[in-house]
Amino acid sequence: MTDVLWLIPAFPLAGFLLILLFGRRLGDPRAGLLATAMVVASFVVSAGVFFDLLGRPAERRSQVETVFSWVPVGSLRVDMAFLADPLSITMCLFVTGVGALIHLYAVGYMHGDPKFSKFFLYLNLFAVSMLLLVLGENLLVTFLGWEGVGTCSYFLIAFWHTRDSAATAGKKAFITNRVGDWGFMIAMFVAFAAVGSISYADLNEAAELGELGSTTASAIAGLLFVGAIGKSAQLPLYFWLPDAMEGPTPVSALIHAATMVTAGVFLLTRVNPIIDAAGEWVPTLIAWVGGITALFAASAAVAQNDIKRVLAYSTVSQLGYMFLAIGSGAYVAAVFHMVTHAFFKALLFLGSGSVIHGMHEEQDMRRMGLLRKFMPITALTFVVGWLAIAGVPPFSGFWSKDEILLFTLADNVVLYVVGLVTALLTAYYMTRQVVMVFFGEARWEDRAAEHGAHGDLGTAGAEVAHGAEGSASDEAHAPARSGATSGAKQTQPHESPPLMLLPLVVLAGLSLVGGIIQLPALRFMPDSITHRLEHWLEPVIEIGEAEIGGTWAEENATLLLVLAAVVAIVGIVAAWLVYERKRAKPVEPTVLANAWYYDRAVSDFMGGPGRQGFEGAAWFDANVVDGAVSGTGRAVRATGGELRRSQSGYVRGYAGIIGVGVVLLLGWFVVVRGIL
Amino acid sequence: MIGQDLPDFAGPPVGWFALSPLLVLVGGAVVLLVVGALTPRWPKGGYAFAAALTSGAAAALAMVQWDDITDRGPVTLVAGALAFDTFSMFVTIVICVAVLLVSLVTDDYLRRESYDGPEVYAMYLIVAAGGVVMGAANDLIVLFLGLETLSLGLYVLAASHRRRAESRESGIKYFVLGGFSSAFFLYGIALVYGATGSTNISEMVTALQATVRLDGDDALVLAGVAMLLVGLGFKVAAAPFHVWTPDVYQGAPSPVTAFMASAGKVAAFAAMTRVLVVALPFYRDDWRPAIWVLAVVSLVVGSTIAVVQTDVKRMLAYSSINHVGFILVGIEAAGHSAGETDGGPGVPSVLVYLMAYAVLVIGSFAVVTVVARTGDGATDLDAFRGLGRARPALTVALTIFLVAQAGVPFTSGFIAKFGVIQAAADERSYALAIIAMVTSVIAAFLYLRIMAAAWMSDDDADDDREPVQVPFSTGLAVGAAAAFTLLVGVLPGWLLDAADVTGQFAR
Amino acid sequence: MESSFPILTSLVAVPVAGAVLVTLAARRRPEVVKLVGLLASLVTAALSIWLLGTFESGEAGFQFVSRHPWIEPWGISWHLGVDGISLLLVVLTGILFPLAILGADPHHDTKAYLAWLLLLEAGMMGSFLSLDLFLFFIFFEIVLVPMYFLIGGWGYEGRVPAATKFFLFTMLGSAFMLVGIVATALLARDSVGRLTFDLVELAEQAEFATSTGRWLFFAFAIAFAVKIPLFPLHTWLPDAHTQAPTAGSVILAGVMLKLGTYGLIRFGLYLFPEAAVWARPLFLTLGVIGIIYGAVVATMQRDLKRLVAYSSIAHLGFIVLGTFAITSQAVSGGVMQMINHGLSTGALFLLVGWIYERRHTRQISELAGLQQVAPIFAAGFMIVMLSSIGVPGLNGFVGEYLILIGSFLTARWWTVVATAGVILAALYLLWAYQRVFHGEPDEENRHFPELRPREGAVLAVFIGLIVFSGVYPKPILDRIEPSVDAIIAHVEERTDFVVPEPDQLVVEEEDEGG
Repeated sequence: MTDVLWLIPAFPLAGFLLILLFGRRLGDPRAGLLATAMVVASFVVSAGVFFDLLGRPAERRSQVETVFSWVPVGSLRVDMAFLADPLSITMCLFVTGVGALIHLYAVGYMHGDPKFSKFFLYLNLFAVSMLLLVLGENLLVTFLGWEGVGTCSYFLIAFWHTRDSAATAGKKAFITNRVGDWGFMIAMFVAFAAVGSISYADLNEAAELGELGSTTASAIAGLLFVGAIGKSAQLPLYFWLPDAMEGPTPVSALIHAATMVTAGVFLLTRVNPIIDAAGEWVPTLIAWVGGITALFAASAAVAQNDIKRVLAYSTVSQLGYMFLAIGSGAYVAAVFHMVTHAFFKALLFLGSGSVIHGMHEEQDMRRMGLLRKFMPITALTFVVGWLAIAGVPPFSGFWSKDEILLFTLADNVVLYVVGLVTALLTAYYMTRQVVMVFFGEARWEDRAAEHGAHGDLGTAGAEVAHGAEGSASDEAHAPARSGATSGAKQTQPHESPPLMLLPLVVLAGLSLVGGIIQLPALRFMPDSITHRLEHWLEPVIEIGEAEIGGTWAEENATLLLVLAAVVAIVGIVAAWLVYERKRAKPVEPTVLANAWYYDRAVSDFMGGPGRQGFEGAAWFDANVVDGAVSGTGRAVRATGGELRRSQSGYVRGYAGIIGVGVVLLLGWFVVVRGIL
Repeated sequence: MIGQDLPDFAGPPVGWFALSPLLVLVGGAVVLLVVGALTPRWPKGGYAFAAALTSGAAAALAMVQWDDITDRGPVTLVAGALAFDTFSMFVTIVICVAVLLVSLVTDDYLRRESYDGPEVYAMYLIVAAGGVVMGAANDLIVLFLGLETLSLGLYVLAASHRRRAESRESGIKYFVLGGFSSAFFLYGIALVYGATGSTNISEMVTALQATVRLDGDDALVLAGVAMLLVGLGFKVAAAPFHVWTPDVYQGAPSPVTAFMASAGKVAAFAAMTRVLVVALPFYRDDWRPAIWVLAVVSLVVGSTIAVVQTDVKRMLAYSSINHVGFILVGIEAAGHSAGETDGGPGVPSVLVYLMAYAVLVIGSFAVVTVVARTGDGATDLDAFRGLGRARPALTVALTIFLVAQAGVPFTSGFIAKFGVIQAAADERSYALAIIAMVTSVIAAFLYLRIMAAAWMSDDDADDDREPVQVPFSTGLAVGAAAAFTLLVGVLPGWLLDAADVTGQFAR
Repeated sequence: MESSFPILTSLVAVPVAGAVLVTLAARRRPEVVKLVGLLASLVTAALSIWLLGTFESGEAGFQFVSRHPWIEPWGISWHLGVDGISLLLVVLTGILFPLAILGADPHHDTKAYLAWLLLLEAGMMGSFLSLDLFLFFIFFEIVLVPMYFLIGGWGYEGRVPAATKFFLFTMLGSAFMLVGIVATALLARDSVGRLTFDLVELAEQAEFATSTGRWLFFAFAIAFAVKIPLFPLHTWLPDAHTQAPTAGSVILAGVMLKLGTYGLIRFGLYLFPEAAVWARPLFLTLGVIGIIYGAVVATMQRDLKRLVAYSSIAHLGFIVLGTFAITSQAVSGGVMQMINHGLSTGALFLLVGWIYERRHTRQISELAGLQQVAPIFAAGFMIVMLSSIGVPGLNGFVGEYLILIGSFLTARWWTVVATAGVILAALYLLWAYQRVFHGEPDEENRHFPELRPREGAVLAVFIGLIVFSGVYPKPILDRIEPSVDAIIAHVEERTDFVVPEPDQLVVEEEDEGG
């Protein structure tokens, strides 16, 4: 089965090409359905490969399939090769699985958009890139996918490109990612210089055999982490992700929640032996960056009013968890959380999309409320997602988050506390969102009246490119979609079409039961159903995985489990009291609404000193460098002008000049050569 | 001392045949004057044809001589007064070619300016004869005779367009300054004679070989060399003795300017080579630095002043000074190995440069002649505006001449410059080579200006000017010059081979 | 290997013949003129592609050599040959000219325009094929004339000053090279045994005193540095590019700049290995400065064409970096990058030219929202732009990546800095793209015409090549690498420079296992 590995990316590629050629003719919705079918097909193949590997002994669960030799020069031999092993197949499964659902959802969501087919063109191209990323046998193929997903994300964020905010957000995302790519590339160079190869097999092998010096390993790991920071939106490069919400909601769900942004986590898991061989400071750094990001983003999410921005910040925060896990050597937990997060975060985004759809492109939660009455299915599924991310047992998020916290505690108590606080905040802001959207009193009747103001608000959001408070609504700025609704008339919210609800339901189910793939070993649980994922991933992560057996944390795992659950409940209750029961005044300081002004600071710097520096260089070029050139020209002309004066036109003058010449010649010959 | 030279006479007798090119030129001049005076006006183009025929015949005869010399080796004629060697023949041929082309250009010019007649052509031939003598002189006095013949002829030619004040003015200026410099030259001869007891180059050389250098008469000779250098420097228009050039070139009738810049320069440089390389090899370490300086000054002055000119004739005048600098680079190179049996690449490179430049400059001024239009006045840059659209073929030719002067490959100009630079590099004077190349870039600016005016001006030439006419014979001359420029640029082998054997002089 | 048919000579001769025919063609019949010119360039293209097909890949030495004595007194011969380094440049030249002729319309004096273009092509071909210093120089120099007239005759508002600047600036550079060439031949006369300008003989046999070699190297290097152009000798480029007609810019960026980088490999590394190694730090630094500086200045340009021009400076900086890193990957990457830059920047200049045709402005500020009105045009621009940014899967990336990974072995810190240029490339191009194509189209831009069929056809060729050489560069690299390795070996055996091989241990183990 593994010999058909190449089919996994081939299907979406075919879809891409078909839509490229016939997209306009296929039109709406056939183009979308075609794209979906292609992703489903590669999901089927992935599943086939999965069961094939499952049927093998652990040590034979890794297989390379070379398609062709890509960049062979001298000792550098890079193949276009795919690696089928538990990790990559796990990724394939949920990328294609969740991807397929989101495709399907998008068929409904994008209905009526004039660029319908182009949207699925990009979406399929993204699927190809993402699959190359996870299937890559060496760093370069991964990098190919890595850049591919970045480019697609650029296309899709800027999909409604007539909107400045969208265009700017897309550009911002691409360039910020590029900063990370710098690290990724240097990492590849170091790896090649040190090992003479950039294939994971060779690198990891070298790391295991200790051929990789600690410094080199640290360099590679550290630089790859820089790349991961860019792609997975960690501090200090997180700020592109909230703006990325300018893209259509399915994009936010697929790229900026479920799949692309987890690429960094995947990459580091892939090279866990190198991190293991690296100096101790590398994992510590990763853990701290992850932890701080998680807390930072969670705090920002507390004060967002744009339904999608809340989810965006929560994504950043959840990704922070995953890095926290990796830093603590909990690779299984990282992958586990990556999968569960893919389920419930995709679910939440799609749910929010459904809400936006039903609210006629409204995104500001302050104009929602009581929607459970109008869109029950959306509400129900959203609630499932909410409980999952909040970490309420037995929902999937609970298990994965707990596993991370367990390892963190074993590694570093401070970070454990950070993680716990984040968990609390998560439960809090998610509850806040659910209440604001689905419960409380309906705040959207007056929408018609406010409509003008709201339009202004939208423009404001668009103008503040780094969009603090940027609740630009699709409708206000996308003429493409303005046909969907027009202001005052039909403000009545409505449930979304079944095509959009089906994915919601499926994802809700997954979010509910997703935990079973990696249940903790507890007294009342039979071993057969525990640690499934861990056993499955064993061949890949056995080197890096931390050994926490015998630690205090391990002994009191059950206690921690309870603690985590309690924290979640507390958070939920608190938010419920504040927003539903109105027992206390909501605390939503602007500093949080603006994410601690970090983003604004960055863009102010780029727009200010940074820009001035660039201007300076341009000035230097125009005046100093080119000035020197034209100066030379002027100098020659001036000399000519001076010498020209000797041409008086008078014979006596000429005779004089000749006389001077005579004297000089005589001087030279007689005096210098003759007498001296 | 004559006795010592007696064996030389064992060669050919007085050698009327060997002198035939010279005799033909003189004869042609006399015939033109006498017959032209006695007969009624000749048919259209008759005088020009006669002159062209004469010079052509002289050139042909010179070519015939060539093989004799390469077979039997160089000798001197007329009691050692004239040198009968490949060098002199090469010079003869170049000068004759110049006369031929210039006559073709002059023909229509004279009728356009309506003072057609035999005199101008006769003058050409006489000047040519003088030039040939300069190139062949083996005696300083003879050389002086040639020089004066040439000069007087040129003075008259410069002033020949009587109705144009500029023409007359340039004649006077040239005459006065020329006389001034000739005096120096003559004085130089006297001093050298005083030191060596002879004006005959062969005897001078032997004398200088014999005498140990004593400071007293050494200074005398050196002073003489200085004086000679002044005279020659004036004739070749090397800075700072170039001052007359711009005014004279601009004022003189355009075809005459072409003639001065070609035949005049060739003869002058031939004379300079004779005097410095052949007669004074023992003082090469003395005069070479002087030439170095003259070269640099000419290169710089010529190119930089040319940049700020607006009159095309003046531009070309200054650019010619830049070219003089290049040729002096060749002479400087020759100076390193002057008097040695293997003459080195210097002299050949000079001759190739002269050949190429003579044709180039005639071509350029021929175009100027037709663009100047009736009255020979329209020589400012504006006169060339839109020429490319009005007269494409002519402008293409002009472009060829200009890029060739700039030293662009596939033209004779490039071959010439390359030869000179190679000679300099061969003698390790890299500094001079680099200075020369850099100034050639500066000079290129003015060629570009002319081309830009001709091709790239949006507004055509203002209409009040009469349209440019290209008469047949001028077109012929221009075409021939252009063809030659390209031919030498693509297949220079034959010319280089010919110039290669000019290293051995008759003594 | 001698080939029966003088393919290389005809690569030079055909365009010349074409130029002659064009000039002879009837002025009254412009379509005939166009046809003749196009045919000539197409025949040349066909020949170059045939050359590509019959070229023995895996061979390091010169192929299809044709050698005939030309100017014997000076030991100069008509010596043409092609190896992996020049092969693709020749093909690029062959392909680019017909595309430029098809893609851009001179609007006036088509005869002269085509004649100059064809002469330019002949000169380019000659420069890449020459194996004789004199021959190389005259071709290297002659290309200035057609380019001067193309810029000056068919350019935009400030064309004449730009053309003059271009001509004089480049001529100044080659002035030094001329002296250098002459001196090289003369100084090598003893060690070689005769006066010759033959590149191979000189490179293999000539011996120079260390200091002499360095002086000579610099005489050459100045000319190339101006041509590349290397900071700070680059200021002729933006003016020339901005003022040149579209085809002129395409050729200038696509092919002519490569004369410099090509020359550095062929006449720098190959002819003066010792000096080249000695001068590495200088050129690596200048290259890296070019990468960053070019990108930074490009970001601030208001004129779309100037922006692309400055981006060329950055791209060429990469090539210089690779050349002087002197590793198999870096130099091969450099050669590949020459091709890539030719394709992507050539296409970019075409697109910018088409924008000018439509809107009669190159000012970024006057353009907006074009993607809304001309999506296909925008898509084409986007793909070309991404290749220029160096997104993997497109050609631009392969070259840059090879350069960087190869340079890292011998020029670690330079590479670290250079890699940052990859970020900047995204910055200036995406920003420009956003300003020109995104947003709402205003009144002037609302009626921006969509890509026309002929333009589409031309662009399709470019994009096809861009994608192909990005996805499957192996055939290209297989032809480049042997010649590059040969030159590196040449350098290594003549200097104490050694290319550090990356540790192979792990790979071998893996081989045994597999």
